[in-house]
Amino acid sequence: MSAGLQMDGLGVSAGRRSILEDISLSIAPGDCVAVVGPNGAGKTTLFKAALGLLRPSTGRVTWHGADVRDIPGRERAAAMAWLPQRTGVQEVVPVLDFVRAARFRFNEGRRSASEASSAALRTVGAESLASQPVTTLSGGEFQRVLMATLVAQDPQTFLLDEPANHLDPAHQASFYRLISGQWQAGRSVVCVTHDINLLTHLSPPERASDVRVVGLRDGRLRFSLCLSDRQLKSALESLFEMRLQEVEVGGRCYFLPHSEELR
Amino acid sequence: MNARILAVTIVCLLWLVAAPFAGAALEGEGSRFILVQLRLPRMLVGAIVGVSLGLTGAAYQALFDNPLATPSTVGTTAGAALGALAVLVLLPGEQMGLPIVFVAAFAGALAVTFAIAAVASSGRASINDVLLAGIAITLATGAVTTGLQFQADMAATFEAVRWSLGHLTQVGYRGVMMLGPVVAVCSIVLLLQVRALESMLGGEQRAHAQGVDVRRTRTICLAFGAIGVGACVAWCGPIAFVGLIVPHMVRLGLGATRRVLLPMSALVGASFLVLCDSLARWVLPGQDLPVGVVTATLGAPLLVFLVTRRTRA
Repeated sequence: MSAGLQMDGLGVSAGRRSILEDISLSIAPGDCVAVVGPNGAGKTTLFKAALGLLRPSTGRVTWHGADVRDIPGRERAAAMAWLPQRTGVQEVVPVLDFVRAARFRFNEGRRSASEASSAALRTVGAESLASQPVTTLSGGEFQRVLMATLVAQDPQTFLLDEPANHLDPAHQASFYRLISGQWQAGRSVVCVTHDINLLTHLSPPERASDVRVVGLRDGRLRFSLCLSDRQLKSALESLFEMRLQEVEVGGRCYFLPHSEELR
Repeated sequence: MNARILAVTIVCLLWLVAAPFAGAALEGEGSRFILVQLRLPRMLVGAIVGVSLGLTGAAYQALFDNPLATPSTVGTTAGAALGALAVLVLLPGEQMGLPIVFVAAFAGALAVTFAIAAVASSGRASINDVLLAGIAITLATGAVTTGLQFQADMAATFEAVRWSLGHLTQVGYRGVMMLGPVVAVCSIVLLLQVRALESMLGGEQRAHAQGVDVRRTRTICLAFGAIGVGACVAWCGPIAFVGLIVPHMVRLGLGATRRVLLPMSALVGASFLVLCDSLARWVLPGQDLPVGVVTATLGAPLLVFLVTRRTRA
């Protein structure tokens, strides 16, 4: 019986092919975990299993001890909110209405749902978009609005799947600051990415040791280290099967492809 | 925005009140009978059927996240047609009157839609699979219906074709009494799904993560949509296009937010169908042109006009 999100010997397979194997991972309240790994490592599947969207072939995922597939929808929504890798919206709906839909789990009137949604938009700095149709937003704006839906859902844990994909460097950095702010405000954050250099923006340098980096490859966990760990470089090298060069800028650590890799 | 919704609401309600008085002047002997026993019940049945078709169309489009989904796409109409034709063709000449056709059509509508709903609630099927299953079963059901028609004699075939055109002709309030409560219950249940449907704007998996029981929502929407529309189709025959066009008119005029789209589709559906019926009587007085003919000929160009206008804007 443990607090937070817990995966015990989790395995997921599609037909004969196994996608995840024997994953054991626990995310306690207030944790910040970055799941890194190459494309196709099973990162997205990990989230779908956590949300109860998939039936595990082995093991189980629990929230405060109860199987996530058994807990009622609204309770699960209070535990976890999900930022999928891709979200398509076809309908011409104003941003505020789109964000308000995420208040589903609350038993409340429309006015308080609207107020909470406006507040969520303010949190992500997108309050000026409230009356725009979702379909007209730029990639960066849409990602912020999606983040606002997570804030509006107000769960304990954020599950973020490649949150800064397709964003330009400025938006990537500000988006990670946004996530970092949510973490420091007390939420647990699980962030899946293949961009190891964005991770350093997850925390202020002095809290780097509180960020756990978990390596996933071919459906298996390969390592679990804190962001400030000296062994991280070699762990990432074997995870991505390439040599890396460590560069320190302003107290933050970045990993670049080793010059020999670029020849 | 809210002013527009209010304006549309008022116009629709005013039209519904005025509709029984539209048409040939009500004068002299029998005018009271015409108004109270013919026109008023006809308006009421038209409004009830319009509510059901408009609302269910909007709910299905939201559920399937597909602008082409209608009650006909998931087999409701095809099932009703099969049931009605089976009775009309296999039991020809028997003077059993409307109720047996009604019962058979209703049973057919429910049987086919519930088969689709079973696919939808299995949980393994994606919503597109459900839509595909609906289209496939609709085609198969249509083929059986055609086969039945092929076996039938002239009189039965004629009867079947007439039924399949859709009509609102009423004498008295039997239709109102039968359809009213069914459609009222189904409409309330569908309207209670608005928040869940709103959450589905970003896809079903996201809705699940936001706490929506996706399978339950699917099953409720399909089942109660089918019960309402099935009853209407069983009584009036399949009335083409209303379930498709009305939600699009509302979407283009008032926006796609679910809590606006669903109730307004119900209201606009009611006035649109009653309007088409009045036009049918006005264009060919005394001929009783089936309203389904008008909804399709009027609705299809209107839809194309609205959609192309939006594209240019």
